[in-house]
Amino acid sequence: MADQLMLWSARSSGVVILLMLASLITVLAIASAPSLKAFGPGFIFSTDWRPNELESPKRDAAGSVVMEDGEVVMQTIAPEFGALPVIYGTAVSSVLALVFAVPLSLGAALFLVRVAPKLRAVGPLSFLIEFLAAIPSLAYGIWGLFVLAPILQNHVEPALARMLGDIPGLSWMFHELIGDGPDAINRELPLTGRDMLAGSLILAIMIVPIITAVARDVLRAVPRVQIEGTIAMGATWWQSSWSMLRYSRSGLFGAVMLGLARAAGETMAVTMVIGNNNRISPSPFAPAQTMASLLANEFAEASGALHRSALLEVAMILLVMSLAINIVARYLVVGKASRTAAAH
Amino acid sequence: MLAGCIACAVLIVAMLLWVLGYLVSIGAGSISLAFFTQLPTGDVVNPGGMKHAIIGTLVLVGLASCIGVPLGVAAGVYLSEYTQDRWLLGPVRFTADVLTGVPSIVVGILGYELLVVPMGGYNGWAGAFALAFIMVPIVARTTEEMLKLIPDSYRAASLALGATKAQTVLKVVLPAATGSLITGVMLALARIAGETAPLLFTALGSRLLSLDPSKPFPSLTVQIYTYATGPYPEQKRLAWAGILVLVALLFVLNVLIRYVASRSVTRGIA
Repeated sequence: MADQLMLWSARSSGVVILLMLASLITVLAIASAPSLKAFGPGFIFSTDWRPNELESPKRDAAGSVVMEDGEVVMQTIAPEFGALPVIYGTAVSSVLALVFAVPLSLGAALFLVRVAPKLRAVGPLSFLIEFLAAIPSLAYGIWGLFVLAPILQNHVEPALARMLGDIPGLSWMFHELIGDGPDAINRELPLTGRDMLAGSLILAIMIVPIITAVARDVLRAVPRVQIEGTIAMGATWWQSSWSMLRYSRSGLFGAVMLGLARAAGETMAVTMVIGNNNRISPSPFAPAQTMASLLANEFAEASGALHRSALLEVAMILLVMSLAINIVARYLVVGKASRTAAAH
Repeated sequence: MLAGCIACAVLIVAMLLWVLGYLVSIGAGSISLAFFTQLPTGDVVNPGGMKHAIIGTLVLVGLASCIGVPLGVAAGVYLSEYTQDRWLLGPVRFTADVLTGVPSIVVGILGYELLVVPMGGYNGWAGAFALAFIMVPIVARTTEEMLKLIPDSYRAASLALGATKAQTVLKVVLPAATGSLITGVMLALARIAGETAPLLFTALGSRLLSLDPSKPFPSLTVQIYTYATGPYPEQKRLAWAGILVLVALLFVLNVLIRYVASRSVTRGIA
């Protein structure tokens, strides 16, 4: 009797976990249906994100303003929602973060596996890295907002602008086009320190610990024979390290994917430093917006049912994307690294 | 290249010290007794303290644990002890793994749709629900890993003495793993105590010391976020102080986790 009770309570807790994921997907799918119906698949490719109605002068076929009784006739333009700017923002900020974080993390993981044991430094270093991973993103956000962004704005970005701004072919980094068509103005980009670069740097700092921790476990699992074999063949320290990296490349790729998953879903720190501008700009010095930061900024104050539904569709895209990245990552890391490291 | 490798490690440690150094030095300069004992005054020059937010976070984390810990531990027991359900275990384990990677802001939106919309307004229950949602898969997976470290001879001995499966799990396996289970729960607590994104659309935050979870509920993280992104310098100082308190709390939790893990019975067996 007690046995049956125990079995069924354990089993139902297991089922609850399945239901959690199912409810997440169902609720988001139902709630984003109005937006899906209104915009269709074009939602993903449209670059306009305008939650409010717009008033603009009505124009006739010739393109001149329509007048009636001496007054300009106005027309309202319905709100428009497209997710491309935030998808772009999420993709670019995450990939840039990986570019900064991956070499650093792999280097540190090699250090932890091959050098630190000789220095008796594994314990303290592992604690530091795990603690870095446990610091809430809000703390990184505040640090980024009050320390990193001002440094970028006042020192790093002006210096980069001086160094790179005059090089032909790089001026796009420091200019932006305002408006479109023949009226467009090409102006110098104001350097605010709260831009794509700041967002990626903060993300890089935040994903270094997780990539390092998982890569460390993956590298630790390389068989001793593999390492000793290369050394017996006369490999240098670097050559044998390289063979370790090659041997565990799928696990390391999994570690990188876990970092990518965290970067793509990261909210608070990015919201505080990325500048929150729903425009696609090729320059890393222009303010941007990610899916997560868009949700954090607009969801609580959504101006109407369609706006809310469009935000929910963005949430759905974010969920599907991070599920996909996570599934790939876990498939690659399974059996090669401790899951406790991957759990946070 | 060895040098490059050392440089990477040094750079990461330097980065940590840079971030932590700022948090500690500015936070320490902004913190005072009033931070812990006073409520917000509403006055931007003399903004009071964060007593309400500290209590709010404790209540939210407590409520979340009431749901999240039993559910997570039960799911962990299922994954580790009931191997006869092989067809169901694989999907459950995989789902739990995938759930740990769901962006926390999406969980907040789920809480909004499931509990804020039907209840007609932002409320503490929704916040606790969102935190529990994040907690369950973490507790389930760590529990499973810890229980798997208990040698099968324990279970066999218990069953051989005539104990039922339920008695074996409740009186032999779980007690043997208590230390490590506490580690897992503390890991999950450390994670949810610092969460902001899932609370933005659920508990919302509040300037009042409220103990009624059916109303908007204060929390340390949301209050820090509001102050940090607001325009007033005195409130920014409070935000720095708040983040220091939060990070210090997590530091203590992390040290405790290491301590408990190093003394736990399972570690001794393994």
